[in-house]
Amino acid sequence: MKKKLMSMILCTAMVTAMFTACGSESASNTEAPAETTEKEEVTSEETATSDSASTEAAEEAEEVTITLGIWPEDTLVDDIAVHEGYVATMKELHPNVTCEPAYYKYATDTFMPLVESGNCPTIFESWFTEPAKLIAQGAIADITDELEARGWLDAMNPSIKSLLSDKNGRVYGIPRDGYALGMMLNVELFEETGLVDADGYPIYPKTWDELAETAKTIKEKTGAAGLCLLAKNEAGGWHFSNIAWGFGATLCVDNGDGTFTSDLDSPEAIAAMEFVKSLKWDYDVLTADPLSEDWGTGFTQLGTGNAAMYIGANDAVAQPTQVNGLPVDKLAMCPVPAGPAGQFSLYGGTPYFFSKDATPAQINAALDYLEVMGKAPVATEASIAGMKAGAQSNVDNGVPVLKRFPCWVDQDVLDAEAAVVEEFSNVDPKMFQSYFDAAASEGLHLEEPGSTQDMYKELTKVLQAVLTDKNADVAALMKQADENYQTILDTVFAE
Amino acid sequence: MKTARKPKEKWRKRDLLGWLVMLPSLVLFAFFVWEPLLENIRLSFYSTKMYETVAFTGLKNYVQVIQDVDFMASFKNTFSYTLYSLLIGFFVPMIIGVLITETVHLKGFFRMAVYFPNIMPTLATIWIWSYFFMPGPTGVLNILAGKLGMGPYEWLNDPHWTIPLIIITLTWKSAGSTALIYMANISSISPDLYEAATIDGAGIWQRICHITVPSIVGIAKTMLILQIISVFQIMYEPMIFKNGGPNNASISLMMLMYRYGYRDYNVGKAAALSVLVCIILVILSGIYMKATAKKEEA
Repeated sequence: MKKKLMSMILCTAMVTAMFTACGSESASNTEAPAETTEKEEVTSEETATSDSASTEAAEEAEEVTITLGIWPEDTLVDDIAVHEGYVATMKELHPNVTCEPAYYKYATDTFMPLVESGNCPTIFESWFTEPAKLIAQGAIADITDELEARGWLDAMNPSIKSLLSDKNGRVYGIPRDGYALGMMLNVELFEETGLVDADGYPIYPKTWDELAETAKTIKEKTGAAGLCLLAKNEAGGWHFSNIAWGFGATLCVDNGDGTFTSDLDSPEAIAAMEFVKSLKWDYDVLTADPLSEDWGTGFTQLGTGNAAMYIGANDAVAQPTQVNGLPVDKLAMCPVPAGPAGQFSLYGGTPYFFSKDATPAQINAALDYLEVMGKAPVATEASIAGMKAGAQSNVDNGVPVLKRFPCWVDQDVLDAEAAVVEEFSNVDPKMFQSYFDAAASEGLHLEEPGSTQDMYKELTKVLQAVLTDKNADVAALMKQADENYQTILDTVFAE
Repeated sequence: MKTARKPKEKWRKRDLLGWLVMLPSLVLFAFFVWEPLLENIRLSFYSTKMYETVAFTGLKNYVQVIQDVDFMASFKNTFSYTLYSLLIGFFVPMIIGVLITETVHLKGFFRMAVYFPNIMPTLATIWIWSYFFMPGPTGVLNILAGKLGMGPYEWLNDPHWTIPLIIITLTWKSAGSTALIYMANISSISPDLYEAATIDGAGIWQRICHITVPSIVGIAKTMLILQIISVFQIMYEPMIFKNGGPNNASISLMMLMYRYGYRDYNVGKAAALSVLVCIILVILSGIYMKATAKKEEA
């Protein structure tokens, strides 16, 4: 009897829990966020009126609320003021749209719970390594129709468009900026070392060998690390791929039949890794613990004068300056140094994605917001005003106002951007000249194909081994990494 | 016949009341523990999109987990963590507990002092230790070693030392709370035993060996299996200290599971690995129970 009673209670409890769980799921689908309900109302009404003659008028009059994950974080007061200006302009141009700040910095560990709980912002920024994964998971909205209706599809840089599309050509995001990796220089340390020319411009290293020598001189004379190399996470492999290309390596080959071949243990890739090893054990020019350095700490090391050089891109110049206090005139950029096979810079960008729950009306409202920000392929009065507001904010916060890489191919937009950069320029263009010259050459290199994040992970493991073990067998480690990566490729692309 | 049924009915009423008292807890357990547990097992047999199941894939997730290039490293490391935690961390709380119990002055202070690290947030603890273990001349331990004319050492960057050093930090943080349990156990030992032993001429060492230690063996056995279960699921420390590095020297099974779930968005695979961890722990617990049961019987 005791057993029976216990079983009954347990069963009741389990069934209750199951129903409760199911109930909460359906609730989240139908009623949870007020925003969702609103979206659905908008959608249903749109559908209902789609056949009528007054469709457009009805849509325009419809109240739409969008949540802006691209809102600046709380500490960036000036940036928030700029966005409040954008919201005011939105209110003027699109009075039916309500914009709600919802700052969200994309992170893989927070994204999925955010989406599943229905709290993903209507629009948010992510990384260029993420689209394939997010599209496969159904986590972001297909915005092809909205972009096509606006004529933005053809204005997008084709290589960037392909990165943001699925295999059927449907587009899931738009680029905020394009970037090319270069070498950021802390000019103060170059001045202290005496590595400046007669006009005071830093004498930057043009090859990897020169970089090692330059870094050594800087460390000897200032005590600061010559170079900040990353080896904490996948960013280490990401940076290393630039070095490997310079040494002539091709890290992964697209076989054209949906399969890929890893080539991490080529003589060129091994030579590149041997060079990295020498930076630690022969030249000793790295920061104290490269295994603790990631993308953000690299900028801290550079901005605070603990490192003289760091691989970075033009879209991150706020990091060493505004965030870490380096004076705007003490930052310079040069190309990623050349190796025996030439000079290569990784080309990518920061994409905007849209919540999978966003309605067409919300996606359009978010695209309107981008127009107001001056981040869209249109050169309207409002978008130019947005560009100017952004540039003014950079000037106010000591961030270099630089041209961005063309993620759009619309000439009017490019001209408008160039004019704004010229008007608000707050740095000596010669400090960045060589970087932009190199990026305009043939050396731009898209990320390797295949399962790129996994490749970076495998390369980072080798970086960690060679930076912590003076006697590490680079060839054996690269062979192991190659075998591991091939296993991953075979597993991922067999599905 | 009548007299035989009466006590059973009484027992039933009393029992029902007990179950009613427990019902809220049971419902909460069902909702927060059992249902997610069962759901997790179900997920492990499916391909997934976000948290939604897509198609039944049988043991495919399990095969993929076991064939993963990082699985063997994390599997071995997890056992290393457990082994080192027993070697380094199992006896420390016991010793602390005995020493503080034997202390006459400032007992309250020592009790608070050993427990203090336990109230610090894990992340803060790891950050503090990171500064101590920083390689190069700026690390706190290297500065101290430098004063003695030694080093600098690589500390956590030396793959042979990564796990033992992480276990030392873990022990530093959690030994105090376990020591309190031992102290509570020791304080329940009758003072008469100590008095009698002292009269018979037993010194402190003999009192500890013949009275204190035998009295805490029972609780020590329980703490042993709890420690194994807890350390086997280590994740934060290796993730924050060295992100599983250098070259997978500190990656753990739970960290690998976290990567599947939150970096790769592969919930099915993460669920499969967590089920494997659960199975391993059930086996270890079974071995422990059998071993301790035999001894108790003997």
